[in-house]
Amino acid sequence: MSDPTSTNPLYRSRQRRDRLATLLITAGGIGVLLTVIAIAVFLLVEVVPLFWPGADGMSLSALWSAPGTSGEAEFRWLPHRLEEGVVAQASLAPLLWGTLEAAIWALIVAIPLALGAAAHSSLYMTPGLRARMKPTLELMEAMPSVVLGFIAGLVLGPWVERHLAEAVSVVLLLPLAMITLALGHRRLPVPVQRYLSLNSAALWLLPCLLLLVLAAVQLAPLWESWWFAGDLREWVEQRWGLDVQARNAMIVGLAMGFAVIPGIYALAEDALSDVPRNLAEGAQAMGATRWQTLTRVMLPIALPGIFSAIMIGAGRAVGETMIVLMASGNSALMTATPLDGLRSLASSIAIELPEAAPGGTHYRLLLLAALALFLFTFLMNTLAELVRARLRQRFRRSRGDT
Amino acid sequence: MKIPGHTAVGSKTLRRPHEGPWAWLAAASVALSVLMLGALIVLLSVKGLANFWPSTLHEVILDDGDTVIGVPFEQRTLPGGEGVERRYWIANRDDGGGIWRWLSVPRLASDQTPDDLVVLERRHWGTFFGRLVAVRLEGERLTGEAAWLAMEQRLKELDALRQARQQLTRDDILPLIRRMEREPSSSETQHRLDDRQLQALQARAKELRRLQQGGVLVLENSQGQRQEQPLEEVLDAWRPNAMAWYEKLGHWGGELWQFLSEGPRDANTAGGVWPAIFGTILMVLLMSVLVTPFGVLAAVYLNEVAHQGRLTRLVRIGVRNLAGVPSIVYGVFGLGVFVYGIGGSIDRWFFDSSLPSPTFGTGGLLWASLTLALLTLPVVIVATEEGLSRIPLHQREGALALGATRFETLTRVVLPMAMPAMLTGLILAVARAAGEVAPLMLVGVAKLAPQVPVDGEFPFLHLERKFMHLGYHIYDAAFHSSDVQAAMPLVYATALLLVVVILVLNLTAIFMRHYLRKRHGAPVRR
Repeated sequence: MSDPTSTNPLYRSRQRRDRLATLLITAGGIGVLLTVIAIAVFLLVEVVPLFWPGADGMSLSALWSAPGTSGEAEFRWLPHRLEEGVVAQASLAPLLWGTLEAAIWALIVAIPLALGAAAHSSLYMTPGLRARMKPTLELMEAMPSVVLGFIAGLVLGPWVERHLAEAVSVVLLLPLAMITLALGHRRLPVPVQRYLSLNSAALWLLPCLLLLVLAAVQLAPLWESWWFAGDLREWVEQRWGLDVQARNAMIVGLAMGFAVIPGIYALAEDALSDVPRNLAEGAQAMGATRWQTLTRVMLPIALPGIFSAIMIGAGRAVGETMIVLMASGNSALMTATPLDGLRSLASSIAIELPEAAPGGTHYRLLLLAALALFLFTFLMNTLAELVRARLRQRFRRSRGDT
Repeated sequence: MKIPGHTAVGSKTLRRPHEGPWAWLAAASVALSVLMLGALIVLLSVKGLANFWPSTLHEVILDDGDTVIGVPFEQRTLPGGEGVERRYWIANRDDGGGIWRWLSVPRLASDQTPDDLVVLERRHWGTFFGRLVAVRLEGERLTGEAAWLAMEQRLKELDALRQARQQLTRDDILPLIRRMEREPSSSETQHRLDDRQLQALQARAKELRRLQQGGVLVLENSQGQRQEQPLEEVLDAWRPNAMAWYEKLGHWGGELWQFLSEGPRDANTAGGVWPAIFGTILMVLLMSVLVTPFGVLAAVYLNEVAHQGRLTRLVRIGVRNLAGVPSIVYGVFGLGVFVYGIGGSIDRWFFDSSLPSPTFGTGGLLWASLTLALLTLPVVIVATEEGLSRIPLHQREGALALGATRFETLTRVVLPMAMPAMLTGLILAVARAAGEVAPLMLVGVAKLAPQVPVDGEFPFLHLERKFMHLGYHIYDAAFHSSDVQAAMPLVYATALLLVVVILVLNLTAIFMRHYLRKRHGAPVRR
């Protein structure tokens, strides 16, 4: 018996249209994916002539440290000298160092806050509060970096420069006050304890923290005059020889930490929530506190996921441009002092590339920097993604077992 | 009974064990993050909106008899407790000194807020603080309250004249000139006709210009020195100390509207941000038009067409990771490939006559939109894919079982169901693109674009022109203006505007995603 539809012209035209559409979608999809690969290819092709043995061929060692005027190697980034034909002093080392320094400070700020927030919201928060808190923290990620850079570079930086004691006071007082609160909470009468419970702490701690910050700022002149002869900044300069710059690595770290927190938080929270519920419940049934459950049971399982969250955060911190550009002072220094300025790869590209002649050594050097950023973040993210995928698979298997 | 390894539970009351300090630190970190976000938004709102409020003018007399008229801005304690200084904004750039002045607070002999102090917004030299002595208008000399009324009347007339002239230039004269330039070889009579029309229009513009002239204000600054101010240079005038709160509110609204609707003045430190708003919106629109079809196409390919093997999984991971590649790298790609590569070729082939000055071979609207489209492509792909994977398999199987082809299943069943997810992805992409500045610095943003990319001249949308952008406006005004302190209020206002736009976009996306999750449940992970 012959199929009646196969001879139907309408059916055949539909089939043809289907095949055509599939072909088009395939072509389009592959085209888009190839465009994406083109980014890496373009950067590679443009960078390779830099190492071509020729007139302006550079060696890897010259990229690392350029010969200084006095003969010994110096780490300097003075790319405008390239055009003048003088001895090239274009060592990428200070830029790499600046990038790393900014990223490290950002992670120092972001990791404790983001992981603390993730632990709190996956373990303690009531579901209703959590459903509201997660989007709020997502909004932090949406903050445009140019606004963060502006606030850090022009508002916060100068304020900290003038009010160093107040800033230090806030940073020291907050954790101390929290520990005191933790110890004091159990001494409170039970109804108050229940009212100010840990489950809703994210809400009622808000006004408390605000008051604490205000108190810390008010108290600062007091202890400044007790221990530091009324001027902490001068004391720091005399004792350690440090000059506090308005735009320094700490400010960059703070602003970039702010930008990185939501990313790490979201992924770490996912990793913790993905841990099979029955494990945590089992631990709590054995009498463990929720914090013990976290550190002994959930954390070891979710650790790869949390690492991948941190890696993605690091990738973002390394590539962030506007915050570093606006809050760092952009001086290519190789110092470990957190109170000095810095200059990163990304901000160098943003400032110098429009002026660099296409095809010149300076242009190719900056493209090399871009390639380095691309490879670094891409590798970081791929690794993180692989770790996460493996972890998810393991959970699925363990869920299947039970 | 004693359970081994278990902390003893009190015999009387069964109480929950305490969590210890770490749990509290974790709670505090949530609160601290939210607090920082809140503080940032409050700071931007307060500083950004307060800028437009007509602040009270103070007339301060120092102990040595020196008089200062200004607005107190901030107060600082000098190091070592050697007194308190207050910074006044004294404006009057044409008096020679700066527009700021630090005054030692203990030296202030008197501090008053007289009602007759005047603020003038001028086209040159910025703001003026002082007193209005007289108005000379058409040979008449008016003083006192009559002078104020006459000046207000005249300012309204001037505003109308200015607008009429602008309209004439924009709608009649410029298009005519461009037409004559484009078609120089048209017939002799036509040419003469055009010429006569142009002359008539220009005469009209000159007449309007002449009508604006005349009228002089006699002003007195804080030192009692008199100066004359041509009225045509004055944009606005008000007496903040004599205003009631509702008048101030009205003035605040007016200033806010001016900020949103006018172009910048004084090297981006005053005036409005309309061209930047327009440029941002136009660029984002173009980007959406570019990114949506390609993003959806790639997602459909990855999810519906491609064989779900190891390679597809790797590609999916790769695409997802592109979202984490720094935006500046996309900017570099845009500059190298779009601007220097494609743009340079277009210039050589089509705009050979205008070389070496580049047409497409320099940063412009098209290249910026393309770069940002590439930057936001992963966002759209990931969101669309998530939406596609959330559609239950039996929906597709049902359609196929009823005899639909795969393409029909896709267009009639799958894509309509995935529509909200695509929209979410697009909104997230727009939010990300609106806040990006770093790649734009390489591919076409301008500090001050002389021409808006859209006008009445063919082809109406000029893709090769540079454009202004809100985010870059913030960076430029904050870091490249001669007096950062004077530009700060405007930077705050611009930053607030940008943040509000982006937050609204993100909130829309969040609510849509929430609604979607409720309707369709969790995604199927592959």
